[in-house]
Amino acid sequence: MEQILDLEIVKLVIGLLAAFVFVVFNALILTWAERKVAGHMQLRIGPKEVGPYGLIQPLADALKLLGKEIITPRNVDKPLFYLGPILIFIPVLVAFVVIPFDSFLQVKDINVGILVVLAFSSFTVLAILMAGWGSNNKYSLIGAIRSIAQSVAYEIPLLLSLLAVVMMAGSLSLKEVVEAQKGVWFVLLQPVAFVIYFISSVAETNRTPFDLPEAESELVAGYHTEYSGMMFALFFLAEYTNMFIVSAITVTFFLGGYQGPFLPGIVWFLLKSYLLVFVMMWFRWTFPRVRFDQLLNISWKVLIPLAFLNLLVTGGLLKL
Amino acid sequence: MVEKIKAELKATFADLAIAEESYPQSGYHLSVDLTAKDILNVARFFDGRGFYLAVELCVDYKDYLEIVYIFSIHSSLCKVKATLKLDPVQPVAPTLSGIFDCAYWYEREIREFYGVLFDGHPNMTYLFLHEGIDFYPLRKDRVPVSEQDKQELNSYSPEQREDSLSINMGPQHPSTHGVLRVVLRMDGEYIEDASPVLGYLHRMQEKMAENRTYQQFLPNTGRMDYLGAMSFNLGYVTAVERLTGIDVPARAHYVRVIATELNRISSHLLWVGAYLADLGGLSPFLYVFDDREHILDVLEAVTGSRLTYCYFRFGGLYNDVDDAFVLGTKAFVARMRGRFSLYEKLVGGNVIFINRTRGIGVIAKERARKYAVSGPVLRGAGIGMDLRKAEPYAAYPEMDFEVPTGKNGDALDMYHVRVKEMETSLDIIDQALALLADGPFMVEKAPKKLKPRKGDLYHVVETPRGELGIYIVSDESDKPYRMKWRVPSFSNLMAFPELAKGNLLSDAVAILGSLDLVIPEIDR
Repeated sequence: MEQILDLEIVKLVIGLLAAFVFVVFNALILTWAERKVAGHMQLRIGPKEVGPYGLIQPLADALKLLGKEIITPRNVDKPLFYLGPILIFIPVLVAFVVIPFDSFLQVKDINVGILVVLAFSSFTVLAILMAGWGSNNKYSLIGAIRSIAQSVAYEIPLLLSLLAVVMMAGSLSLKEVVEAQKGVWFVLLQPVAFVIYFISSVAETNRTPFDLPEAESELVAGYHTEYSGMMFALFFLAEYTNMFIVSAITVTFFLGGYQGPFLPGIVWFLLKSYLLVFVMMWFRWTFPRVRFDQLLNISWKVLIPLAFLNLLVTGGLLKL
Repeated sequence: MVEKIKAELKATFADLAIAEESYPQSGYHLSVDLTAKDILNVARFFDGRGFYLAVELCVDYKDYLEIVYIFSIHSSLCKVKATLKLDPVQPVAPTLSGIFDCAYWYEREIREFYGVLFDGHPNMTYLFLHEGIDFYPLRKDRVPVSEQDKQELNSYSPEQREDSLSINMGPQHPSTHGVLRVVLRMDGEYIEDASPVLGYLHRMQEKMAENRTYQQFLPNTGRMDYLGAMSFNLGYVTAVERLTGIDVPARAHYVRVIATELNRISSHLLWVGAYLADLGGLSPFLYVFDDREHILDVLEAVTGSRLTYCYFRFGGLYNDVDDAFVLGTKAFVARMRGRFSLYEKLVGGNVIFINRTRGIGVIAKERARKYAVSGPVLRGAGIGMDLRKAEPYAAYPEMDFEVPTGKNGDALDMYHVRVKEMETSLDIIDQALALLADGPFMVEKAPKKLKPRKGDLYHVVETPRGELGIYIVSDESDKPYRMKWRVPSFSNLMAFPELAKGNLLSDAVAILGSLDLVIPEIDR
């Protein structure tokens, strides 16, 4: 038995299963939290009827979505249309493999951990393009096109800002990055990189004020206009999971990961992550949406040069 | 001004029949009888002197059709009615769409309602109706639409090109606020051409008016502009009172002003919320609804309804207001004054909001005149014309208030104009409340059967969206012979294709929002 448990592949499968459970659970909590946050920011109180404080509400919503018919419009490109929402989900699961929830709680510590996360997160764009193109709907297509342009623009500052931290930690492994923050968190040493990373990650997850691919006042619902029932729910699930992942990466790279006094590491980790998720929700219910050209300008004209400069200064200081 | 225009008209067109009219009675100062050969020259004459074409309409007098043009000017009070008589069998008139852009839609409307052909008009196709209608609805006698006319009316389809994408924005789209449809021809994210398609909410209110007594039509007025129902009510009752010579007691005047201004604030508040929702910020919507709720509560207590009011009557009000109304209004005014700083922080000062609206949808003064835009859109463009000041009605002559204007005519200016207008509305309410004294709220012996004088009247009021003009032709019966509603959103929307061209899709949404359209009002 011990032997079986020690096998890499078994560990991976168990890890992925745990990740899947966590993803679903996380989405349930976050949909509830988002509605509560939205409610309180909008002079309302949010869900309160189903269960205490409306906690069972997401479960009821999920059941409703499961019961809905999955409508396939005529003239859609069926393979792409069905694959889109499923593929958007895969990179999300993979990212969980390398994230260190605690010093002992990590499915696999890969020595190029961050590269795995970033490589797979780029995969999301492909899924969105499949959904947008396969839907055979003009709004979906424009949403998908926007999404690609946005991802291409924001992955660069994302990577560059993380690179500065990697240089300081001297490792691509997420665990070693966390361990390198024993004394001082990188947010203090790399404040510019932190800001760049956080802005870019909001854009990567298509959240307001960068929610152009699904801008409802312009594109109805963007790339997921034609999806219904559980297919739509998968996009939803992916969005909330992505929010958690980018927050988890931020915590790992800038906020000391699972480190903190008194409480167990996992509690610190989740606490910090969900705090960042809350900030993202706060953004959403406060800001209007930026325009497409402004969105690209922020990335290409401000964030990328700034990230390069930051990298240069970091490199120079390290050499000294 | 009137004398000067009259003299100049006489000097320029020697053989023109020009008559001076009584402005208090008819709503215009001069009337000019035109012939088909004069009309273009006369239009150019008014265009050259800075007039705008307030409305172009048609009346069927059975023996002849009459096209009525109302020319008006922003800078002073001078209104000219020009008429052109047409043969009812084969009505043809020259088009004014080359001189005043706003004639483009008015003439299409006349074409489908009366069958008048406009010579030289680029697009004589359906505006509101569709090919299922086989007679001209506003003609007094049943005049069938010939097959050839039907084909011509139905021939329009927005231009399509190989290398561009055409998108239907609407009729069910989150940011067209109702059932407006705009066909956009796009080059990537950029708009090459936008053509609005109207008529999804068309109810033929003008025909309904001809078949009902003046009283019976009153509730319909609130259904046109459901957000500014009080202004439409007020416009209608003041017009009919002007036509029938009913005097309204002072108390009723003040209450009318208070109710209308409250309604104006609620309309502008809703606009702020809806506009921010268009731009992607959803929270302000709930904040404005919180404020709006207070207005609705106050108005509901006296009028009985929350949206489509029908509170005014010919000669006064439906019922008197009580102390609760006065106290509630005062409480609201006090509350609202403190809210503007919140909106400034939440919306007006937001960097993203400013960058989304600054320099977007800029409408130049000259173009604003050509399109006859009105209300906050016109004032945003820098022309400080407010009909509450220019042609005061009800108790507005006694009110002292500012007319806010913008500088650049962009969407940001229109936001600021509307917010400042809410503040001036509060000032007006304050003054009206101070003047509100005990007295009758309804004229004694209000006539059961109205006896309007024979003739016509063009009456204008300022609604939250701009100039509402009501043109009534009366034949002394208790039903109007013809009633034309010149609605503000109609001409404001006309400017949209020009404003949207060359802009991004997101900007088109921002521009459409800044015009503050209410679709049932456009479609009537």
